[in-house]
Amino acid sequence: MNGVLRDELLGQGAAVVGFAALTGLLGAEIAHLDRAVSIAVARRLNEDTLGILTRLQKRAVRLLKVQGYRTLVLPPDSDRKKDTFVSKLYALFNHKMAATSAGIGWVGMNGLLISPQHGPRLSLATVLTDAPLAADRPFETSGCGACTLCRDHCPSKAITGAEWSRSNPFVELVRLGECRGHKAAGRQVAGKPNCGLCITVCPYGRKNINEEILA
Amino acid sequence: MVTEEKKAELLEKLKSAVIAYDEDTAKEAANEVLAVGMNANDAIFNGLVSGMVEVGKMFEAQEYFVPELLMCADALYAGLDILKPHVQQMDLGVRGSVVIGTVEGDVHDIGKNIVKMMFDVAGFQVYDLGRDVPLDKFLEEQIRTDSDLVCLSAMMTTTMTGMKKVIDDLRKKNPNIKIMIGGAPVSQDVADKYGADGYAKDATNALKDAINMIGSLKQMKDEAEAKKAK
Repeated sequence: MNGVLRDELLGQGAAVVGFAALTGLLGAEIAHLDRAVSIAVARRLNEDTLGILTRLQKRAVRLLKVQGYRTLVLPPDSDRKKDTFVSKLYALFNHKMAATSAGIGWVGMNGLLISPQHGPRLSLATVLTDAPLAADRPFETSGCGACTLCRDHCPSKAITGAEWSRSNPFVELVRLGECRGHKAAGRQVAGKPNCGLCITVCPYGRKNINEEILA
Repeated sequence: MVTEEKKAELLEKLKSAVIAYDEDTAKEAANEVLAVGMNANDAIFNGLVSGMVEVGKMFEAQEYFVPELLMCADALYAGLDILKPHVQQMDLGVRGSVVIGTVEGDVHDIGKNIVKMMFDVAGFQVYDLGRDVPLDKFLEEQIRTDSDLVCLSAMMTTTMTGMKKVIDDLRKKNPNIKIMIGGAPVSQDVADKYGADGYAKDATNALKDAINMIGSLKQMKDEAEAKKAK
């Protein structure tokens, strides 16, 4: 099951696919769906990342349902319709938790999921299921090492410099108020809330991007 | 004209789409229903709703849990949104309007939304006040819309007590209004104590009770008017 699912999703545009066992980590309402298929897509300019993620989730659901398993689709954070019944459950779940558990990456100093190959340049979506998928090896600690580029470049000084680990997942990495305040100010000045410097400077996976730009 | 076979096939497709929480198939089947000119009411009641009834049973049997239940409800709405504009006047014997909301201090509205869905499906005019609704708002809205029925929901014992005030206020203004309450801490005892007309264990029961209540209310009105006419 693992191999088929992974190959299918990678073949359809996923950058990384991982499987996680989340037994004991989920809220009571969704605790029976304790396996996660974590799907990551590399963000590229002029590509409909959301569309790709949505399509990949549907593929995964179809494959799992055909085998008689249950599924619960957790859409990407930027695509959460508020008017559905099931949207009430989204707050119970965290894509980054699934992704670190599925061995896709760790949570970096900038509070974003960082993959060794793609850095913080992945968009995440998750499908929960009760299929007995074999779990990939989770990330236990941060791979940021001594690098503080994102903290040094953050215009709002929102990055605390603390380090994430699975045993201490609730440490404050980013002072969200400051980050949001900066983006709100950007919106007023430039009409866009864009910042993303902590993504741009991250050395993990940066090379790939440059090559693509040059190509 | 649609053949009986095709009809049965589409009803089954709608039903199983709801049970399998498959929004895409529900939409597809609903569009097919319209394309072949099948009766939309039939499709809703014998397709979508009978699927949801099945889901209710599975939920009670603890075969389905909250996420599945919610996804099934979403699939039902996906089909309903397509079919609803084509619904002819429902013939349930009664139709009415209902004010519904979760009382002040309470933000739990999943149960309320599912009850609302049953009313929607049955062709009631639903005035949904949402959640955390100030207690006075229920009376205001009932007067504004002249609704036959008010449904109150509370998920916590602390907010449940607010229902009493709403019920008293409503009764003072309009003794004939029918009031139903529901939610986790609510029981028949509470309903009796607070003076509510009905207590609904779940959404299907809420609808049945509501239809009965409005039926009796309409009857009372008719009788009163008949007396006046004499």
